[in-house]
Amino acid sequence: MAKEVIMPKVDMDQETGTVVEWRKKNGEHVTAGEIILVIETDKVAVDVESPGTGILEGIAAQPGDVIPIGTVIAYLLSEGEDLPGRQTSASNLDQETPVLKEEKTFRQPATPLAKNVAAAHGIDLKTVVPSGIGAKITKADVVAKLQGEYSEKTDRKVYASPAARRTGRENQVDLTRVEGSGPKGRIQATDVLTFLERQDRTELPVEPQSIGPEVIPLIGIRRTIAERMTANYQNIPHIKFTSRVIMTEFAAARIKLNERATRFDEQKISATAMLVKLVAATLARHPYLNSSLKENDILLHRDINIGVAVALENGLIVPVVKNADKKGFAEIAEEVNDLSTRARAGKLTNAEVKGGTFTISNLGPFGIEQFDAIINAPEAAILAVGATQFEAIPDDDGIIKSYPVMRMTLSADHRIVDGAVAARFMADLKTILEAPILTAY
Amino acid sequence: MVREITYLEAVREAMTQEMERDKRVFLIGEDVGKYGGAFQVSFGMLEKFGPERILDTPITELGIAGAATGAALIGMRPIAEIMFMDFTTLASEQLVNQAAKLRFMFGGRATVPMVLRTPAGSGTGAAEHHSQSFENWFVHVPGLKVVMPTTPYDVKGLLIESIRDDNPVIFIEHKLLYKTKGAVPEEPYTIPLGKADVKREGRDLTIVATSIMVQRSLEAAEQLAKDGIDVEVVDPRTLRPLDTETIVQSVKKTGKVLIVHEAVKTGGFGGELAAVIAESEAFGYLEAPIIRLAGREVPIPYNRELEYHAVPQVENIVEKVRELVGLKV
Repeated sequence: MAKEVIMPKVDMDQETGTVVEWRKKNGEHVTAGEIILVIETDKVAVDVESPGTGILEGIAAQPGDVIPIGTVIAYLLSEGEDLPGRQTSASNLDQETPVLKEEKTFRQPATPLAKNVAAAHGIDLKTVVPSGIGAKITKADVVAKLQGEYSEKTDRKVYASPAARRTGRENQVDLTRVEGSGPKGRIQATDVLTFLERQDRTELPVEPQSIGPEVIPLIGIRRTIAERMTANYQNIPHIKFTSRVIMTEFAAARIKLNERATRFDEQKISATAMLVKLVAATLARHPYLNSSLKENDILLHRDINIGVAVALENGLIVPVVKNADKKGFAEIAEEVNDLSTRARAGKLTNAEVKGGTFTISNLGPFGIEQFDAIINAPEAAILAVGATQFEAIPDDDGIIKSYPVMRMTLSADHRIVDGAVAARFMADLKTILEAPILTAY
Repeated sequence: MVREITYLEAVREAMTQEMERDKRVFLIGEDVGKYGGAFQVSFGMLEKFGPERILDTPITELGIAGAATGAALIGMRPIAEIMFMDFTTLASEQLVNQAAKLRFMFGGRATVPMVLRTPAGSGTGAAEHHSQSFENWFVHVPGLKVVMPTTPYDVKGLLIESIRDDNPVIFIEHKLLYKTKGAVPEEPYTIPLGKADVKREGRDLTIVATSIMVQRSLEAAEQLAKDGIDVEVVDPRTLRPLDTETIVQSVKKTGKVLIVHEAVKTGGFGGELAAVIAESEAFGYLEAPIIRLAGREVPIPYNRELEYHAVPQVENIVEKVRELVGLKV
């Protein structure tokens, strides 16, 4: 009996999974528990183990395909067994799979990938002309619709002689712009040459031929980011506060910490790691900055879990340092290093990106002086940290001196954080950053 | 001033000169001796070479082809004549399954240096069984060479080359061409197999035609030239091996191509030519579809009027060229 391999549900609110790569090929023997493919949810990449032992066959999803959970994407067969006649979704699914439910309401049959791409771009599938087998809408149809190619290319397929096509290619002429003089309007090579001549004669600047944009479906992590950023920016009234911090002692402390780390052959302590620790220590005294608004309640979190924004090639992700207020600099440094390395490799587990109560985004290494960030709901605030640079500052006597200065901007949810509350937090944080010794107070 | 002789005389001269040159060459066929051949091609040769080298046979085409194949295998260089190409169906077992295969089966240690001459084509009122053009049946067989000469000059040079070739050659003459005249040198000469000839140069359209259709295409080209339509006529001369290069170059120049042959269109050599062109770099130079003009899908009728209309004539070629050049297709 063929065993179904389905797109697994690895996350509570997961509806689809994206195939990243197959580690096994059709025809390969696999044993239960062996990693057979890698999928990506909207948060993390997950290794998928084989649900049984047998020969992998009938792989029905390719890398990049977005597949509703529960959909059969391959089979495990025993020796000599044939693939089942048709692929249906697993019957034992107890979780809702909204995409599959929607399918019933669609008049127009479409591949799951086509539906996802259409949904991501807000395209009504009824408006898409299918070209697939059995009049099924495919991803290509949706992409074509997106590029507006229907009116341009599909409806007006170019009728041209082979010679005209070659001439067009050689002279980079878009044949859709050329009028044909041949039978039934067929474009001849001379039509292309006439078109070119006319262009030259009127001395029109030869426009670069528009080849249209490269279309990247808004899927996976990119779609999650887009949706969350929009929701957070629209729903949360942000208030923003910028402080200037003199980093002399912070830098000195870091040097001391790193001297010790070197001596014990431990990992270096980054500025980010120190910030996590010092922010966590400050948050302990400002519970409203470490809170969440949930319907009619404000939740003041007792755990202080600091998310650290990590830039990825195709987006960003925020792994979380749990209970950062209870950890030392070295421990946090080690954790931040480990999390960000694995984040860039797409190897974070679901648990490691959940449960944050406050986020730090440090763009100092990019030389950004100052910026503000969008709050990462359901958290109440986010700290945007700029670069440390020397600045000339007059002291109380008006004498100008040079100091290493860092600017940081807090974005806070004004529904739960008053201006004064935020200001007090920032003042407190500034004090502790300018004198890190105070953490030990 | 080069001497002019007929196509028929050129065939006879080629055979005679090769028989004088090489004792291994002999002629075998029905009525080739005493009667001088159904079309008088071998007239006078019995007197010249005697009955040992000009062999009259019973009515047995399979026997003629088999005897020629066997003689060639043991070192002779036979010329077999099949009176009408229609009868090569009877000879085809020896040609297709024996003569064509032996060289391969013996790893090149056996050769079959024979020529099978036969007249094809309609236009003589000889009806269904004496008018057909079967060249493409043999083109389909690796191991055979297929030659279809058009002019007296070509037929002499190609026949001498075919007799000297170490492979079985199906040498297809045309009944209506036998009486056509042309300049032919008296001394023996050869024309390589697999070399096409551009019979007329032009820039507007390429006609690729075989056998008598080359003549009709040339006539059509003359008429069209009066209207300023400049037609190029390419004669492949040998169908297998085929000189694709010459054809491709011509089509690249003109961008339009008309294929003309007498054999029935479906399954005819024109399909092969069209495919060769479409597969080549000439494809990107085509300004119109490749058009075939060929025999209608019927046996050649006995009624002379119907016979005339069963195969392409000059006026049909003119009309098709006008359509192509005028971009009506």
